[in-house]
Amino acid sequence: MKIETQRFGTQEVNESEIISFPEGILGFEGENQFIVIDPSDSTLILWLQSIKSPEIAFPIIEPQLLDPASQVQLLPADLKSLSLESSTGATTYNILTIPADIKYISANLKAPVVINSKLKIGRQIVLQDSKLEVRAEIYNQLKTAIASAKSAASNDSYRTRFEAQNSQANNNVAAKNTQANNEKANPKEVRPSPSNENIAE
Amino acid sequence: MLVLTRKLGESIAIDDHIKIVVVQIKGKQVRLGIKAPKETKIHREEVYQAIQDQNKKALDSSHQGLDALSQEFEEKK
Repeated sequence: MKIETQRFGTQEVNESEIISFPEGILGFEGENQFIVIDPSDSTLILWLQSIKSPEIAFPIIEPQLLDPASQVQLLPADLKSLSLESSTGATTYNILTIPADIKYISANLKAPVVINSKLKIGRQIVLQDSKLEVRAEIYNQLKTAIASAKSAASNDSYRTRFEAQNSQANNNVAAKNTQANNEKANPKEVRPSPSNENIAE
Repeated sequence: MLVLTRKLGESIAIDDHIKIVVVQIKGKQVRLGIKAPKETKIHREEVYQAIQDQNKKALDSSHQGLDALSQEFEEKK
């Protein structure tokens, strides 16, 4: 099928690539179908384009590009809402805000877009970790990622190689994390288990 | 909306597993303690507002900024 987009003109979309967002994106509850567009430019930035609204496209980036060790902590309820058994089947993106002055480019680390890659269901999930920022400045990290890309022969081979390395690295991190979680509670997790007693400040 | 009056130290139970306690009252501020199962999401309302606002700003992402980024990449290549 063909869809209209403001940034990329008319795009031919394979229906199997359409990701459904039953709850939409926060503030855009009526937008329930998106696709990920890779403009194949040099910026490492992808776009979450609405199927029905040409003007709605969120710039997104894989968090591992900014921080190879980044690992989204999903609660059992989050996984369940995406019909996931573990976070390994999830693809995570951070929504970016790109101002005219690129030095102030920011990523929303607090509420990533998490997608069940197999079933093509997505949600914007608000993470509990209070240290994560909605507007985290990432210019320097992005520059580093771009510098790593520079050393590769071409952007395409870089991406492919990066994904291969990354999935391996992720598995290692996931394994380590599981182990760590079994041994002691994650220090980032504020809530005691099994019940929590959060006190609002 | 259900409105209940509570005194310091009193609480409200929601379903069987969620309990909200008035921990402290100080002038115009109320401190609440929330006991809930681990999977319950609890956020200050402002967090959602901030995310919605940021999503709107993300849509306005600037072509100028993107061009600058591409250019930077080309230079570094």
